[in-house]
Amino acid sequence: MNWIAVGLTDDIPAGTVVPRRVDGLDLAIWRSELGRFHAWSDRCPHRGMRLSHGFVRGEMLACIYHGWQYSLDGSCGYIPAHPELTPPTTICANTYVCEVRNRALWVALGPVKDDIPDVGDRIPIRSFDILCAASEIAQHFAHPQESLLVLNGRYDLAIALQPSTSRSCFAHIFAGAGQDRKIVSRYVEKLRDEMEAL
Amino acid sequence: MSDPSIDHWYPVGLLSDINAPRQTLLFGQEISLTKEDTGFSVKTSGGASLPTIKRFGHLWTSLGQPDHDLFAIPEADTPGRHLVDVGSVKVKCSPLRAVENFLDIAHFPFIHTDILGAEPHTEVDRYKVEIREEVNEVWATKVKFFQPQAAKSAEEGIITEYMYRVPAPTCAVLYKTCPPRPGEWDIITLFVQPLTEEWCEVWPWMALYDDESTMAEMVSFQQLIFMQDRSILENQIPLKLPLDPGMETPTQADMTSVAYRRWLKRIGYSYGAQMVAA
Repeated sequence: MNWIAVGLTDDIPAGTVVPRRVDGLDLAIWRSELGRFHAWSDRCPHRGMRLSHGFVRGEMLACIYHGWQYSLDGSCGYIPAHPELTPPTTICANTYVCEVRNRALWVALGPVKDDIPDVGDRIPIRSFDILCAASEIAQHFAHPQESLLVLNGRYDLAIALQPSTSRSCFAHIFAGAGQDRKIVSRYVEKLRDEMEAL
Repeated sequence: MSDPSIDHWYPVGLLSDINAPRQTLLFGQEISLTKEDTGFSVKTSGGASLPTIKRFGHLWTSLGQPDHDLFAIPEADTPGRHLVDVGSVKVKCSPLRAVENFLDIAHFPFIHTDILGAEPHTEVDRYKVEIREEVNEVWATKVKFFQPQAAKSAEEGIITEYMYRVPAPTCAVLYKTCPPRPGEWDIITLFVQPLTEEWCEVWPWMALYDDESTMAEMVSFQQLIFMQDRSILENQIPLKLPLDPGMETPTQADMTSVAYRRWLKRIGYSYGAQMVAA
């Protein structure tokens, strides 16, 4: 398995939860009030409600449906319908490994051998979706690795690809320091249009 | 189709609203409803006539061969009640998920905040659940819960008592204490039309003692409640209702849901159900 970038940390403020999809798998990415990141299956073990619709309360994530609260390790710590109950440890959200590197959040869906791809000293620019498979894009650039493309064309770019479905992906763009953000941003939009026309 | 699920009665339209022909789906099959001089008629796209029943303000039909009459709600016939045709809401979820959510009170403080429930009043006390063999229905009784605004006619928080009844796989009847008439029960139902296994049309219907609210107010109150439920129902994974244990985690507050799932499994009702743990 590869490390997959699922977002730029600046786009996920503390105290929020967002949905992300990796290879068809729905994830709830949330950041505690203290700023810690978590990547969980987007599904409350109680009734299957999407946790990405929930809300962050301090260092817990609460499901919006019945207010069940989950601790940082994924275990359920509080069930409002039974305030006196200590929930059994078997009630646990499905968690994945995630790490922050180069101001992006990287997720591993399974055991990983490799290190997180190195973006170098490039800085995050923006993320957007592309209606084209990540594998096709990597192929187009004849790049060996899908999860991070380093392009040394007109601009110094690194593009972390997050395959969301078999026909679409999310691109997280990093650019070498000193380049104009707006110009780079417009350039990658053109690249996206080209990719979608493949 | 040999699925026994089709051998039940299903709501397909409001009697007051079938003046123009209505095209709709039942179990993924196109059907058309018309009002003729002789009464209402329901036909398949192949032109076959389906049986009909007019009850609770709705037209009911079946693609199969029901060996039973549509259930009755005798309490709804007592004089003085306002019979409220709420209309319908289409929801992208299993018909069974819609019914199960209707049987659930623990979500009131979170989804119907400050209307049907409010924090910190979140505790669900033990209540009684049974499958009544003689009528083949699921019943939950002695359900009590704090409600900040129990109905349009309630102004401040009270402990409301409920009884839930599942008389058919996609129908549920709620009896709830009625603030203006102690000792009587208001009746709120959820009749669900299975369009497909993951898409349904929900027809709430009410028989209320409420002399203060206008019909439009009672309708919009119930519609607001159901729109809030829809935001949940379209975001549960999977959209079908898992009947096998293991995939979801019930607690004591979910006893009605547990009995409902067990009953569906027992009667072999599989449409909209997920039988194998994914």
